[in-house]
Amino acid sequence: MSDIAHDAASSAGAETVSDPYASDAVAHHEEHESTGIENRKLGMWVFLSSEFLFFGALITNYLLYSNRPGFEGVYPAEIYDIPFTSVSSFVLLMSSLTMVLAHNALSRNDQNGARTWLFATAALGAVFLGGQVFEFTEFIVEYDMTLSTNPAASAFYVLTGFHGTHVAIGVIMLLSLWGISRRQGGLSEKHGLNLELVGLYWHFVDIIWIVIFTVVYLLSVPVS
Amino acid sequence: MTSDQHDRHPTPAQYWKIAAFLAVLTAIEVSLFYIDHALGLGIFNAIMLLGLSALKFLVVVGWFMHVRYEKPMISRFFTAGFVLAVSLYLVVLASLGVVAIRG
Repeated sequence: MSDIAHDAASSAGAETVSDPYASDAVAHHEEHESTGIENRKLGMWVFLSSEFLFFGALITNYLLYSNRPGFEGVYPAEIYDIPFTSVSSFVLLMSSLTMVLAHNALSRNDQNGARTWLFATAALGAVFLGGQVFEFTEFIVEYDMTLSTNPAASAFYVLTGFHGTHVAIGVIMLLSLWGISRRQGGLSEKHGLNLELVGLYWHFVDIIWIVIFTVVYLLSVPVS
Repeated sequence: MTSDQHDRHPTPAQYWKIAAFLAVLTAIEVSLFYIDHALGLGIFNAIMLLGLSALKFLVVVGWFMHVRYEKPMISRFFTAGFVLAVSLYLVVLASLGVVAIRG
């Protein structure tokens, strides 16, 4: 608890011990630290910042192995379907638009609009995931490139698989908010912050894919 | 977030324009990929693709994640994580002498 919140708690406790509203006032103060930023929001930014290290490790691992010669089996860069992945990337990029439109609608207290754009974001995320499942299936069935084919294939599947896992978690969170909004007839102020946090997470997943699409798909060199 | 900060956020129409800009950048990226295959642009292709990717990254972070309108502490946290990660892994890649990108 910050000094400011602590002082507020102390004074509230000293002056109005039996006041039922005092605890609400203290709780309200506790949500804002001395930084002026909600704790959960600051926590989300710190978490996202740390995620750069996580995905950076996976991208580096891919770059180290993606065109190292001498491995048996097919290399990922030899079988990429760039037109298909381009469409998938476009879909994920546009899901960032629908996400920010949901946030904007809620800030104008347009509950129906927020609900619609939330669902659209989840749907676009699901389309992206479907594309990834299709891509993985094609690589495994058509080209016999599995997780254990060679280190290049492993690096590719681990990187894109973890990104897909992040997208899947995002879709679940979006659908949860959509369900809450439907059940309660709208999102409260508390859930409004949740929507903002899920939005930050979603945009982060998008910017990571922007990097993956360029570095992994467009710049990879097939081993000749 | 204060109401003043909200007032400075883009309107839905502006968000659509930003998204259209991002879509155009993606189309240029994919076009460059095929132009490079046909003409062999070399290192120019890598520089252009990385530059376009960085621009898309900054647009999403700045406008969609609202970093432009947030308190400086947030952008400091975010930038610190990004710079730390990029620096660390560039050192790793340089140390091992392997950067498998087209160019």
